[in-house]
Amino acid sequence: MLEPDVYGKLSAIVGEKFITQSPAILDTYAFQWGTEIESVQRGKEPTRFGTRPAAVVLPETTDEVQAIVKICNEHDIKFKALSTGMGPWAGVSHTRSIQIDLRRMNRIIEIDAKNMYAVIEPYVTNAELQAELFKYGLMHHAQGAGPQTSPLASHTSFVGPGFTSPYTGFSGRNLLGAEWVLPNGELLKIGSYEHSGKWFSGDGPGFSMRGVIRGWMGAYGGLGVFTKAAIKLYSWPAPSDWKWEISGTVPHYEWKIPPYWKMFVLNFTEWEQFEPAFYEVNDHDAVMMASCSSAEGLAGLFTDTKMEAIEAIFGGVLLHAKRYFIVLVTAHTEREFNYRTKLIKAIMEKHGGNDLIEDGVIVPRDSHYAESVRNMLGGHAFRFSNCFQSTHGGMDSISLAVRIAEINQPIKAKYIEKGVIGDDRGEGVWTTAYEGGHTAHLEVPTVYNAASVESCKGYTEYQDECNEVDLQNALGMPFFIVGDKVHDYYGPRTMDYPKWLRKIKATFDPKGVGDSSHYISASKKE
Amino acid sequence: MSLEQFEEMMDSCVRCSKCKYIPQIAIKSKRFSHVCPSIQYYNFHAYSGGGRMIMANAYHKGRLEWTPEMLDVLYQCTNCGGCDVACKWVYDFEPNEVIHELRTLAVEEGVGPMPAHKKYIELVKKNQNPYGEPIEKRSDWLPEDVELDENSTTLYFVGCTASLRREEIARSTAKILNAAKEPFRILGSDEMCCGSPVYRVGDRKSAIEIMSSNVKHFTKLGIKRIITSCAGCFNMLKTEYPRFVEHDFEVIHISQLVDELLKEGRLKPTKEIPLKVTYHDPCHLGRMSEPYEPYEGEKVELLSQVFIWDPPKPLRQGTNGVYDAPRNVLKQLPGVELVEMERIREYSYCCGAGAGCKSAYPDFALFAANERVEEAKSTGANALVSACPFCKTNLQDALSTRDDPMDFYDLTQLVAKSLEGDE
Repeated sequence: MLEPDVYGKLSAIVGEKFITQSPAILDTYAFQWGTEIESVQRGKEPTRFGTRPAAVVLPETTDEVQAIVKICNEHDIKFKALSTGMGPWAGVSHTRSIQIDLRRMNRIIEIDAKNMYAVIEPYVTNAELQAELFKYGLMHHAQGAGPQTSPLASHTSFVGPGFTSPYTGFSGRNLLGAEWVLPNGELLKIGSYEHSGKWFSGDGPGFSMRGVIRGWMGAYGGLGVFTKAAIKLYSWPAPSDWKWEISGTVPHYEWKIPPYWKMFVLNFTEWEQFEPAFYEVNDHDAVMMASCSSAEGLAGLFTDTKMEAIEAIFGGVLLHAKRYFIVLVTAHTEREFNYRTKLIKAIMEKHGGNDLIEDGVIVPRDSHYAESVRNMLGGHAFRFSNCFQSTHGGMDSISLAVRIAEINQPIKAKYIEKGVIGDDRGEGVWTTAYEGGHTAHLEVPTVYNAASVESCKGYTEYQDECNEVDLQNALGMPFFIVGDKVHDYYGPRTMDYPKWLRKIKATFDPKGVGDSSHYISASKKE
Repeated sequence: MSLEQFEEMMDSCVRCSKCKYIPQIAIKSKRFSHVCPSIQYYNFHAYSGGGRMIMANAYHKGRLEWTPEMLDVLYQCTNCGGCDVACKWVYDFEPNEVIHELRTLAVEEGVGPMPAHKKYIELVKKNQNPYGEPIEKRSDWLPEDVELDENSTTLYFVGCTASLRREEIARSTAKILNAAKEPFRILGSDEMCCGSPVYRVGDRKSAIEIMSSNVKHFTKLGIKRIITSCAGCFNMLKTEYPRFVEHDFEVIHISQLVDELLKEGRLKPTKEIPLKVTYHDPCHLGRMSEPYEPYEGEKVELLSQVFIWDPPKPLRQGTNGVYDAPRNVLKQLPGVELVEMERIREYSYCCGAGAGCKSAYPDFALFAANERVEEAKSTGANALVSACPFCKTNLQDALSTRDDPMDFYDLTQLVAKSLEGDE
């Protein structure tokens, strides 16, 4: 509980309807997917209930956020802002912390179709933004976390690959500017906005702080609050009179596929064939989507229920799907479409592959085309056990991604053998490339059972082993290198980067009120 | 039933927030992206399906004690099932069932329901309706020219709202049945509330008593088929009754019956009604009316940590609600043009009245109705049509409050109007 005078001050800022310290409401912020893994890492029994915040506030404006943060500095209260909030990094780690729920800041401020950027607030979701952008013939990069999550959160603060990455890139690369309430309550506008009131460039004229605010994967909410972000937009490959139309009834929806779209599943026997083919497909900048998974994953992606997925696995997918990647070709014109489809087929043939769709092994429904651009396919992985999480996560080259996949397989298989994680024979990985194949990302989606103590503990052990393997084999920084302890473990062998992170934290958050549990503290804890 | 049986799913909630929105693939605009009126109005995560599931879990694990705020969070929900549909696109969870179970627990532990609910439950027990109207007033709606067949095995179960507040729906229904020469009887002052308002706020014990008494009454009269013009009554009789009380009578909503009668040529709507309409799916006729199929099976670990139900368990995700019948009917009325809203069928937006919200939280109920009216208006329709007297009450209240020129019709009113051409 906060002191009554502090609560009163916060209440005066947002209004009494928009602040609470009711335990029943607070507990719904304490509970987060993935906290069960962190609790095991801390030597406790797995539970999704983490730290209960002292209060939750729902500001509506940047001014209110600033005022809240200033109160936190004044009274030594830690804070963590969240949008939809999905994962332990969204929650607080100290009992004397408040949660700043940005749900009421949900406006699309501007869509500048000519200059191809949008300015959004934190609680605009990917699906909402996409739906509005299509009306302008535009789309944005939606991160893999899902259509219901916040593009602002990903662009400013957290990771950022997505299913359309070959076309739309990586969240951090798409940030053109931000309005940032610093941990001390001051306001900073970064990118060209500060200079000209326009958001066309993230690197100025004006301050470019993209490296500072994100570092590698983002500050996970540990470095203030981002109240607006300008993000880059891309042309939406559909005719101007085309509309997003859905018909049918759950679970099988129908979608009107735009005219020049086609999906392939390019299947190869070995990684040696997969790798050059994947390089070439990305190098030509000709596809909307190119990503791989296991046979089990393929069945999960192109079905609508768990039972359908299981039937597909044993109905032929397991037998035929080897080293494959799914390709979605989209084009604005017939000529462009013909060129691109010919190109994909040529690459496939050159490397001795076959198309599992053409072979009838798996046939995506039209709704799966819709789900691919709406970044919903990743969510299908939850269908197997209601839960999955990803290990590894490094971003480097396509070759390194393949190397991680190869190294990971026997490790994952060991935990499958123990019966603690989902059985994909260790083959389940997810890769996408960015910027013409210049960089690539690989993560290992892993199904486990959040309601089973053994499974949670087993998955945790597996994740820790993956992190160690990444370090020992120089496979890049994994996803969940968060918090002081882990940073300090990785630091000595990775150019002592935590030293620099700490300088940033100390400079921008002199009182240490921004919850640093998934970022870093200003000083090293011995 | 108890919260215990939901523990695994409560522990497994991903807190992904999908429950706040219509299925993501169906989102066509930011304006109409939400499915849950409660989170839209109250904003804190606790007011979502997932939030309430977490709250139930926290209570179950002894982290919480009942407080007035917790009860408000629990009851400021229309129990519309929108969260359930959105959640089940991916997960095996039933947030709506968990919410209902926590309400039941609140009543069993003596803290629920809310005072406004207790008041109307008493009225149901005393007057057979939640409005406190005298029992004998129940058949006041009945015009003299309606032909009844006291020996019929088909019962038109009028329901409290159509009998006592939205009498025009009862009259239109009777007129339609007569026009089709479909024999039916009513119970008049012997008709008891279906139990929906009692059941929805968690007073399961009283609701089961009402269900048992009604079933006994119907059985004694030899009723084989029940027609309802109320989505709430339809949901109770068709879906909830069989979970607690055995019965073998057929339950049919008037929209389904009219659809059949039109197909058979027994109704011939001829009068032109020049109207552009949009149709609001009542939750209890749509997604919530999908029957619970009795299930007995076991959980089998097919692959490591991947469990399936053997035999396969019905998903109950809203697929089998009544969506097409009312639309088929509207499309056959001369002059009527149907245009759809963005949130329809199993992901329709709730009118805001249900599960005790209209009586206990009228501001919230009106907010939701206004949201729906806004969506209806965005279609360019000049009339909003639905198939539930309680939806009509709330949506019409919203239209009146706004002094909005948009008309509201129950489906039965339009059908009856179009039959006037026969006269």
